[in-house]
Amino acid sequence: MKPFVSLLLGLQLAVFSAHAAVPSAQTAAPAASAAISTTQQKALDEIARVATIMIDGDVCQHIVTARALHYMLHPDPHDPWAAGDNYDVNAPEFIQTKKTLIRLAMIAPFPVDVNLWMPVPTTQDIQLVILNQHDLTQFWKFGDLEQAMPAPMRQVLTTGNPVTVQEKSGMISVLAPVRNSLGQIVGLVEVCSSTHPPAQGDF
Amino acid sequence: MRRFSASVLLLLFVFLGCCRATDLLVLSAYHRPDPFGSIVVSDLAGASWDHSIQLAAARGGYVSFQLVVKSDRPCSACKLSVQSSQPVDVYREWFHFNTPDKHYYPDALIPVQLPYSFQMPDSGNVIQGQKVRAFWVDVWIAPNTKPGVYRGRARLVDGVARRSVHFTISVLPAEIPAQDVIDVNSNSYGDGWLQAQYPKALAGSGRANEDEKFHLIQQYYRIFDENRTSYGVLGYGHSGDMESGFAPELAGTGTQKHIASWDKFDRLFGPVLDGSAFAGTRRGPHPISFMYLPINPTWPANYLWWGEPGYQAEFTNVVGEMERHFREKGWTSTDFEVFFNQKKRYKGFEWDGDEQRFPKDMRYFLIYSDLLKKALPADTPVHFILRADVSWMMNRQFHVLKNAIHAWCTGGDVILWYLNQVPALKQQGDIMWNYGGTPPVQDVSTAITFEPLHAWILGFSGFERWLAVSPGPYPFQALANGGTETLVYSGERFGIEGPIPSIRLKLQRNAVQDLDLLEAEAKQGNREAVQAQVVHLFDHMTLSEWRHSPSPPPPGEPLDWDNTDLSDALKPYEAQFPTPQPDAWQRVHEFALKSSGGVE
Repeated sequence: MKPFVSLLLGLQLAVFSAHAAVPSAQTAAPAASAAISTTQQKALDEIARVATIMIDGDVCQHIVTARALHYMLHPDPHDPWAAGDNYDVNAPEFIQTKKTLIRLAMIAPFPVDVNLWMPVPTTQDIQLVILNQHDLTQFWKFGDLEQAMPAPMRQVLTTGNPVTVQEKSGMISVLAPVRNSLGQIVGLVEVCSSTHPPAQGDF
Repeated sequence: MRRFSASVLLLLFVFLGCCRATDLLVLSAYHRPDPFGSIVVSDLAGASWDHSIQLAAARGGYVSFQLVVKSDRPCSACKLSVQSSQPVDVYREWFHFNTPDKHYYPDALIPVQLPYSFQMPDSGNVIQGQKVRAFWVDVWIAPNTKPGVYRGRARLVDGVARRSVHFTISVLPAEIPAQDVIDVNSNSYGDGWLQAQYPKALAGSGRANEDEKFHLIQQYYRIFDENRTSYGVLGYGHSGDMESGFAPELAGTGTQKHIASWDKFDRLFGPVLDGSAFAGTRRGPHPISFMYLPINPTWPANYLWWGEPGYQAEFTNVVGEMERHFREKGWTSTDFEVFFNQKKRYKGFEWDGDEQRFPKDMRYFLIYSDLLKKALPADTPVHFILRADVSWMMNRQFHVLKNAIHAWCTGGDVILWYLNQVPALKQQGDIMWNYGGTPPVQDVSTAITFEPLHAWILGFSGFERWLAVSPGPYPFQALANGGTETLVYSGERFGIEGPIPSIRLKLQRNAVQDLDLLEAEAKQGNREAVQAQVVHLFDHMTLSEWRHSPSPPPPGEPLDWDNTDLSDALKPYEAQFPTPQPDAWQRVHEFALKSSGGVE
């Protein structure tokens, strides 16, 4: 084992603390795109609420490997692809969490992705950890291992309150916290859908 | 008398003025002109402006040259015509402003009908100070052409002035095999890029839009096939998101999972699998050689059941149905590739399918190999092959996965260290390809021939250009990346509902034709001698230099290597290769014809 691994295992435990209560989602930005139906909003809110209950934050904290985090936190000036090439996850934790996210998405009668985001330890950045099947996300730029934390995500991580976001045309996301066994907020889910989802039969 | 003399002098002046003002010239295919009357810098060596050209060709292929109209003054009614006893395809060359070096290069080829009327300067190309219009000429030598010498003429009319150039083609008895020795594959991903390139054609919605999209994709298969290049389009993304039509529609779950409809899949791929999409091309109807299947970690089996009995049930149900459908359709000439393109860094799945770097990920290939065996009848005539694109740890993968993977696509020059393993893999029937990029327009014209030649010299059967349909947002204004991600362009701007070719694609096609001839000669038992002569003619190197890296792989385990380690270790190998001359392939071409029993 390389020297940096044990250090980074500790860093992975860096968490945001917040209250455990799960109030209904606040709207972080005015609805810039099409208005969505009350039914759709309710479905997304419900998925987000259940996600906060169902997603195991302790498991999530062990998805990204220490080695991957090391390369993410220490970019190689001579090899801009080093962090991507060394990106790795622990399969059992990834699979368990992804399956739960998939099940959560199935609650809605229209296409939804439930994606997992987690803060990058020792930084102010956030990383997408699990993206689901329809590539529905308002925040991820394809290929980014980590990125600056969007304000609505910071809000969720610091307050523990869900937030509804409609920043990207045609999409709506509800962000909700993910907690570990200590009651700490260690990540968030993005419950994302098109604002014009096809009817279930068309999908 | 004085009046007569004045008139004669005036006429002579006009005549001479015309002579100086407009000229029709011939250039070889390898020396690309610029719009200002010169040759692009990278192709300058050996360039010659002529009024005639002599070419030699085998039958069953194309032979190419360029016509160039030079004019010091505007011309509003120029007309070009070509007379030839053999069929000719003429294209006007588009001069692209190339952002990386701020120079103009011809690349896109727009088909024209003859006689072709045009202006100088080109009001569409809009280049300040343009003095040149250039045309690419493909002469088709049908397989049944009688060997002999054929003459043709191109003629330019500019007002009262007339200019002619002549071309002579010695058609040899040799015939280019229909099956290429090197499968040069042009790769692409999904169909999202079509909308930006064909906004008019895809302006509709619903079924009309879908039909048009499918038609366009078939046009891409067609143009690449016509130019001796295969086309690959992967239908799913890194998270398993599937483009419409790229997979049959599914219904049910677990043991009840089944294919509900083949309609879209068959409309999209049926014509390229039964070959009818190629009707009317010079190569004629024939099924494609390779095709990506939609199989990925969450299709046809739902990832939700990964590791559970339901995953195998769904996988074997649907893949078994696919096999039956393909068999019933008679699609037994195509290799259907089960290819996992996803990478962990794109956050969709927990394992790398593409360019595995972590040894633990290899087990997934073994699992899918086992699933395929369970899904397919042992005696199926349908070819399902598990393909792996390998780079970092190909050495280990060749050993561990030798009974699972049967199509290997190796990354770059890493294979140089492990070439000794290739014969055994080929011996068991494995397909060996190499993959890489596409040279930019500012490189010497013959750069496009290097990789197909390299693949042939290394004993591979294919080379894949990882992305070959993406010219960037405004390629007719400026090529943002030198055209390194495309060999074709959208023809919509020119009223063509489909792709148009490029000079680089044509040069690559001509090189593949020659490799086909050379392979026929090599098969006679003197492969080493033939290949040694080819590399000598190409760049004055030896076979040994082409096939061996002077330096070993980096020390330690591949997991601990980085890109710098790899590039440093490969530097001594790659540094041996000089930049090829523009006429490097012309020498290979002449040798190919000569060794096939043709040209004196």
